[in-house]
Amino acid sequence: MANVHKDFHGCLSYGLKFLAENYGPAEVEAYLRRVARNVYSPLIESLRERGLPALRDHWNNIMSLEGAEFDLHSANDDVLVLEVRRCPAVHHMRERGYEVWDQFCESTRIVNDEICRRAGYSSSTEYDQQNGRCVQRFRKEAGR
Amino acid sequence: MISCTEFIMAYSELFAFLEERHGKDALIRFWEGLSDEFLHNLRELVAEKGLAGMHEYWSHTLTEEGGEHAMTLADEEFRIEMHRCPSVAVLRRSRHLKPYADYCEHCTVLYRRVIEPFGFKCETIIHDPVEGRCTLRVTPLPENAGGG
Repeated sequence: MANVHKDFHGCLSYGLKFLAENYGPAEVEAYLRRVARNVYSPLIESLRERGLPALRDHWNNIMSLEGAEFDLHSANDDVLVLEVRRCPAVHHMRERGYEVWDQFCESTRIVNDEICRRAGYSSSTEYDQQNGRCVQRFRKEAGR
Repeated sequence: MISCTEFIMAYSELFAFLEERHGKDALIRFWEGLSDEFLHNLRELVAEKGLAGMHEYWSHTLTEEGGEHAMTLADEEFRIEMHRCPSVAVLRRSRHLKPYADYCEHCTVLYRRVIEPFGFKCETIIHDPVEGRCTLRVTPLPENAGGG
């Protein structure tokens, strides 16, 4: 089982804030897209090969390990919805007194977007950072 | 959400990204800022309890992170002998990723910056960055020795 050290969320939040304040939002986005391509390359490959069940397994594993309150559901084979009612990252940082960078949840939107685009899928992320909630939708692109 | 279980890979990528696009100085400034703004817990424990505070801090973090190590606390020394660094182990397992070459260097910058202002000498010796073997040794500066 993976080791779960949630303070790392605070470290990532600081890193994103550092990039934004020193080099601007375009550099934050460039970094996060690089993370999506390099760190998540096995997930991109799996999404291409297995489709949305690959993403379902990924999120189920991650959210369970981190102790999130969440639901995963599908309207049909081409759509997957992840509803996070209690984000483990945002809540942990708040509980431990770490600063949550004010655009922290954008990291989810950008990383999801890059992973999905590379695998022939699209994504949308609606978030409420203040309350640590979000809804992420993943959809197979037409014709892929 | 980038999971905390995937963070080490994202961290290594951030080091490489900063150095490639903005230079090593930018990366070191990031490490220094992280040390100043993120390691409050360690700083408070060192301020309050000295060497024992370091032992308390790493007992918690290394238990959560895993790895193999030996930690010793004596009157005049705190030492971690890291036999298998949990972060380096993650990078070694992530065969699809090219780790940042000087990944281990961040520990030297981060921890020295917190610990040394309290009257200690903080040494890190990287024995094997590929296997993740290193020593962290903290001793009181001569003028502070003898007080524990």
